[in-house]
Formats: sequence, C-alpha cells, structure tokens
Amino acid sequence: MSNSATETLVSACIRFLRPYPPFDQMEAEALRFLAEHVRLAHYPKGARILSGEMGVARALYILQRGKVRAKSTPGLGSVESSSINLGPGQSFAIGALMAQRPTASSYVAREDVFCYELPADDFFALTQKSTVFNLFCTQHIAGLLKQSQQQLQLQFAQRAAEQKTMNSPLAAIVKREPVSVEAAVPIRQVVEMMAERHLGSMVVVDQQQVPVGIFTLSDVLKRIVLPGTPLEQPISSVMSAVPQTLLLAANAHDAALLMAMRGIRHVLAVDEGGRLRGVVSERDLFKLQGAGLRQIRHAIDAASSIEVLQHAREDVRQLSLTMLAEGVGAAEITQFISTLNDTVTRRIIELNLDRHDLYGIDWAWLSFGSEGRDEQTFTTDQDNGIVFICTDIMDRELTQLRFLEFARDVNADLDRCGFPLCKGNIMASNPDLCLTLEEWEDKFAQWVRTPEPQALLNATIFFDFRPLYGRFNLAHRMRLSLFRQTGGNPLFLRMLAQNALSVSPPLGRVRDFVTGGDPEHPGTIDLKKYGVRLFTDAARVFAMAHSVEATNTVQRLKRAAAAMHFSEDDLAASIEGFNFIQLLRLRHQHFEQEHGREGDNLIRPDALNEIERRILKEAFRQARKLQVRLKLDYQL
Amino acid sequence: MTWLSRFLGGQDASSRGLTARQAQSIAGWRHLPEPDPHRSHYRCRYVVVDVAATGSDVNVDRLRSIGAVAVVDGQIDFKDALQLAVADLAPARASPPAAGEEEGGRTATVDALIAFLGFVGKGRLVAYNAPFVERMIERALDESLGIRLGLQWMDLAWVLPDLWRQVDAGQGRLDAWLDHFGIDSMQRHDALSDAFATAQLLQVTLAQALRKGFETSASLAALEKARRHMHQSG
Repeated sequence: MSNSATETLVSACIRFLRPYPPFDQMEAEALRFLAEHVRLAHYPKGARILSGEMGVARALYILQRGKVRAKSTPGLGSVESSSINLGPGQSFAIGALMAQRPTASSYVAREDVFCYELPADDFFALTQKSTVFNLFCTQHIAGLLKQSQQQLQLQFAQRAAEQKTMNSPLAAIVKREPVSVEAAVPIRQVVEMMAERHLGSMVVVDQQQVPVGIFTLSDVLKRIVLPGTPLEQPISSVMSAVPQTLLLAANAHDAALLMAMRGIRHVLAVDEGGRLRGVVSERDLFKLQGAGLRQIRHAIDAASSIEVLQHAREDVRQLSLTMLAEGVGAAEITQFISTLNDTVTRRIIELNLDRHDLYGIDWAWLSFGSEGRDEQTFTTDQDNGIVFICTDIMDRELTQLRFLEFARDVNADLDRCGFPLCKGNIMASNPDLCLTLEEWEDKFAQWVRTPEPQALLNATIFFDFRPLYGRFNLAHRMRLSLFRQTGGNPLFLRMLAQNALSVSPPLGRVRDFVTGGDPEHPGTIDLKKYGVRLFTDAARVFAMAHSVEATNTVQRLKRAAAAMHFSEDDLAASIEGFNFIQLLRLRHQHFEQEHGREGDNLIRPDALNEIERRILKEAFRQARKLQVRLKLDYQL
Repeated sequence: MTWLSRFLGGQDASSRGLTARQAQSIAGWRHLPEPDPHRSHYRCRYVVVDVAATGSDVNVDRLRSIGAVAVVDGQIDFKDALQLAVADLAPARASPPAAGEEEGGRTATVDALIAFLGFVGKGRLVAYNAPFVERMIERALDESLGIRLGLQWMDLAWVLPDLWRQVDAGQGRLDAWLDHFGIDSMQRHDALSDAFATAQLLQVTLAQALRKGFETSASLAALEKARRHMHQSG
C-alpha cells in the first residue's frame, strides 16, 4: 500500500539516513528502496537485539536512536572479547547477513534504542541495486579480514613477548620436568642416566625433593676420571654441595645475575617449600634474548661446523615466530624461511665442498617443491637435486659418482640441521636426480610428451625447480628448454590443468566446509592438499602457459595475470586467499610444534573463530575461481 | 430489523447516498472478526491514530484530517500507514457551497472514511488523549456513513503515568512525554506526524508494559480502567 502517509514517513527516513555513510553516497533510488523496506523497531535498555544463539541473521540493523554495545565472542585463542559502541547511523550484522550465518557478536541496547531493520531478502536486493552499498558491504568484510589479522598478531605478540623478555618469571622458562636423584645413588647410575637422556647436569635432592647439590658434565673429568673415583661411590661424594637456587617467581634477569656473580651455568628453580621445580641453564637465557635476522645470517655465513648451523636453524624458527607476531604477512614469512633455509643449505654445501673436489665442473644445486617455490613453512623436508655439465660422455659415470658422494654428505648434514630426509627420495643423492643438463632436458621432455599420471605428479614437484648454489644459468637453460617443450604440446598443459582440477575446494553445499577428505582425521581439512595446492597447481599451469619463469605462486599469479586479463581486484583477492591459508598453516604448525607434535596441515574449521571461518570460506571461493578459469581455458 | 437493513446496505445507506460499493465495503468491515485481547503485544496489530481539527473543542470544532500508523508485532512498517483529509461537512457554514462541489466533497469524505475503516479493520486503537480523537472520528463516521466504530481505545495519556510513576511529564502533555523519550516529531500538530510519534511512544510503552508484567492489550486496558476509576473517585 503506497500512499501519501508512506511517502511522508519514507522521506523522513531518507532525511535521517542521508548524512551517514554509506547512505550519503548511495544512489537516490536505492536509498528510497531501503527506506521503503525497513521497519522501525524499539528495544528497551538492556535488551539483547541480536546474538549468535538467535540463529542465522535475518535483518540488517541501522541504528536510529540510542546506543548499542557490540561484544565480539572470543574465538580460538583470542585473548579476550572486545566490545565497541554503536550509535545512530551505524549498521550491524552485515558480515553475518552476507555469509548467511549467525552473528559472531552480541548486540545489546545500552539505552532505549530505535532501529530500522531491513529483512535479509531486501538486504540482498539492495546489494544488487546499489553498487555503493555493495562496495560498502564488501569493504566491511575486508575490514573483518584486517581485524582477524590484527587478532592473530596480538595473539602472537603476546606469546613472543612472553618468550622474549628477561622479565619473565622462571616458571615460564623451565618447561621440562626436572630430573633428579637422591644422594645415595651410585655415580655410575647417574652418569649412565645423563648419557642416556643427553643431560648436561643432574640435581641431587633429599627425600623432600629439596636440592642438596648439583653434578654437571664438566665434573666428570675433574672429579671422577682424573682422580679415579670408583663409580660405586654415592653421587653425593662428587657433587657440588649447596647449589644456587631461586624461587620460581624470580625472573630471568635474576638468574642471569646470579650466574654471572657466582660463575655458574645452572640455577635451580624451587617453589616456596624449597622443592626442586626446574633447572635454568645459561643457554635457556641466551635463547630468551632472541636473535635478529642479521645476526642469524651472519652466524650462518660464518658457521664453521654443522653444530653451529643446527642452532641457527632453531633461531630461524624463533625469528619467524617473532615475525608472525609483528604482523608480517604469510608471503613474507614463507619467503623469509625459504631464504634463511637457503642460506643454511648453501653453507652446508660450502662446508662439504671443502671435502669434495668438484673443481672445474659446471653444476648447480636445485631445490624442488615448496622450497623451489619459496613457500616453506615450519615443517619441511628436503626436495633437491643436482644438474651438471659433462663435456666428455666417457666421464659421465665417474662425474656422477663424485656428485652422488658429495650429495649424500650434504643430504645427511641437512638432515642433522632440521631438514629431514625426503621419504620419497627426492634428493640429490638419488642417481635419478643427479643428472647432466641434457638428461634433465630429456626427462622433462619425456614427461611432457607422455603425460601419464606419474609424469603429471612429477611435473608438480620438479617443474617448480630453482637453483640454490652453483651455476644459476644451468637452471635458466633448463627452464627455457621446458617452455619449448610445453609450448609445442598443448595436450600436456591440458592434462596438467585436469590434474589441477582433480581436487576441489572443500566447500559444502549444506555445511560451510567439507571435512570428510581424510577418513583418519574426521572434522579436519588438510590445508596443504585441499588449500595451498589448489592455488599452486593453478598458478603453475598459468605460468607454464604464459612462459612465466617465476616459481613462487604469488609471483606466478601476478605475472600471468597481465597476460590473462585478470582484473587487479581478482588478482588481489586470489593472493589474499592464498596468503590467508598459508598464515593459518604457519600458525597451526607452530602451535603443534610447541606442543611437541610434528606439525601437520590438518585444521579443524570448528575450532576457528567466526571471522576466520568466514575468511577461509572466501579463500576457498577464490581457489574455486581459479579452477573455473582453468576449466574455461582448457575446455574441461 | 434495523441491523439487517444496515447489513444489506438498505435504506440507511441509501438515504445517505452511499453507492453499492461503498455500502458493501462498510458491510465487509462490520463482519471482520474481533481481535483477541489476550495476545501478546508482539503478536498483534495496534493502530495509532491522531486527528487534526479546526480547534480543541469537541462540541464545536470539526475534523480536518486523520493520521494513522500501525504497529504490527511491535514494529512500524512505513507502508502500513494512512493519512486522510476530511472535507468539512458542517451544515452551519457561512456560505453554502454550490451543489456539485458539496456532492464531490461528500463522496471524497465518504471514501476517505471507508479507507480509514479498511485500514483500522478491527485492530486495537491507540491514541494520546483518546476521548478527543475518538469523538472526532465517531462523529464524522456517524454523519457521513451512519455507523459507529464501537472499538475500544487505549489512551496513552492514562497508561504512561502508571508505567513510569517516577516521571513527571508536566501536565500530561504529549510533548512532555516525547521530550522525555527523545522522540522527534516531524511536524507537530500534523495528524500523521503526531500519529507516528505516538506510535513510537507506544513501542516504548509496550516494552515497559511487558517488563512490568502487562503482556497483553487486555491487561493494559485493565490498568487504564483502574487508574481512571481511582482518579475519578479520588
């Protein structure tokens, strides 16, 4: 029923909305539509206007009078809930409406509140009618993304701060259960225990667990070996009595001071009753101080032994964590990890070159897979190979043997420095991956000509090669030769595209996510297989189709985008989606490792907070868009 | 048999020159079911009415316009609102208009009042200072259509002071209450504007009534009756 009364009331509503964004920019017709379809509702002070328990959001709320407190529900690991006040002209529940979910926040009237409510159907009609409003809603969602990243940063900043500061109490530093023995235990048993558990020291306690002495590795030489002390004697006869103790509440700084004053390397942390609760070593305190990027690089470059590199690797991990905390994006962090891992790898290669004479041969160390793409996360194993030039065919076998010997040593050292040996034997010490330039070219040509399943799988690993050490131009020649092959063989790219489409984004029709991908881990999504891979696989096809040399997924997308007439916005959205999934992986792996588990890629969507779930869904939609493009390009 | 002739739109209607369609509309309105007064405020339709008149004397002044805004399930939908101008049909006019003009004015007024009936249906009527509004409307209906509305009115002027005993709203003027709750009127003394402002006042009232345990229009009617009684006997 449209009449003069409606006209008057609608005009009044328009006059009210007009001064506020986004209504100030909104098309007159759209604003009229909005005003015609809202209903005015009243909520008394204290009333709960909207909250998650009320189910899927059914209306857009625009405050007309009064204040509303919006309180966000704490998500996974988020420190605390935050709340903001909304006033006249402000809208809420846009995010929930767009995603057709219950809201993540609760909205309570702080005083008598009048608000205009636009039913969901009319809300969607309005987003269709008004580009201004549509943009406003989209930006609102983008704001949520930023908000989520800030939340992540806050979370990590807290954890990093806890770890870094010298003000942290000893209680936060000692992590392991202290190992202790009683005074009467024979020396032999104690030393055996220390050897078995790689302990640098052993605390001796009385029956009340109060420390009475400490015995360290350096005492073995001075007090046992040299004087020829019988190993049957009790440990109390050789321990240092009256050990230095501090209360658990004392901080790291106190411990450092005590060590410096007494010239000791261990301080015992005790509780109020004087009972042993942990041991703080000099090294624990060093770790607290953390290391900067430059120091780490310097340390790596100057490292003269594998032992030093082993520590450097741990520092890399610590620093990446700090970077996470400082809000550095996933792309930068993975790149950073790759760079430092490259540095470690190069140093290991250099150290081994001292023992292996490869002089006079042109060769290069190649990395494949995620390392080849500069996208390493905290959990990564080796994927490498060697390319070399053999001028005389008669020397080939012998030269390869020399490289294989060299590679075996490098692979073993990498393993000791935290890059586990590759289970699939994708390593330079594998004779199949230690090849001359011509052999590599033949291998690639073979896969391109005969794209059977194994060849396609290989392509996804080996075509992302990148030179790490030696003659980089060899890798460049490999790349050119590869493009010549793929350029002349459209069928191969089509098969590669088909292979990329074999996994779909885990978006459900009914539920938000499909979590049944892995029967052994119900309720989880493998963010590598069903996340990152969707992007990297698509980007690889785009890159190869347009002769983009880059191996990094973001770089590939960026460079291919121009040739493929991707819009700036679409490109930015895909990259954003990819980076978000990487960020979730990094966080998850870090969390897993902190809890002593091997970092996997299985996340539980249910455990994410509302905002993260929404963004993850959007990220998967972006992956789907890339797949749609592949389907179009290759008529699949 | 008067009720039957009225029902059939008989002499009574025809004597007032109503067309068959007009008579039928009125008959249709008569047969609407009465609303259940025991439904929650948030499950029923209230119709807030205000009028503009030539003055404030019920016995002398004439109705000029009606503004009505519905509050359905506690919410105001702008599409569910009505504004009507009523031509002055007072017989005692200084200069009688020409016959044709008179006839045209009469038809327009009859149609306007029928539209009002259609809008109100048998909803619960609400007004601020209801007796004045009620008498203005009943007289116009009686003169033009020969019927009585016969619906119960809720008078916010009586209900409000009981729900907010601590509030001193001046001499019980509408302005004072609107000020107190920060409700703006678009244009004071315009029937629709005031009806809209009063409708928002009703929203506030319903929330407070619910809080105090008056969950239905019947319970508010009882509250109003008790207060009137106390007031008149005290």
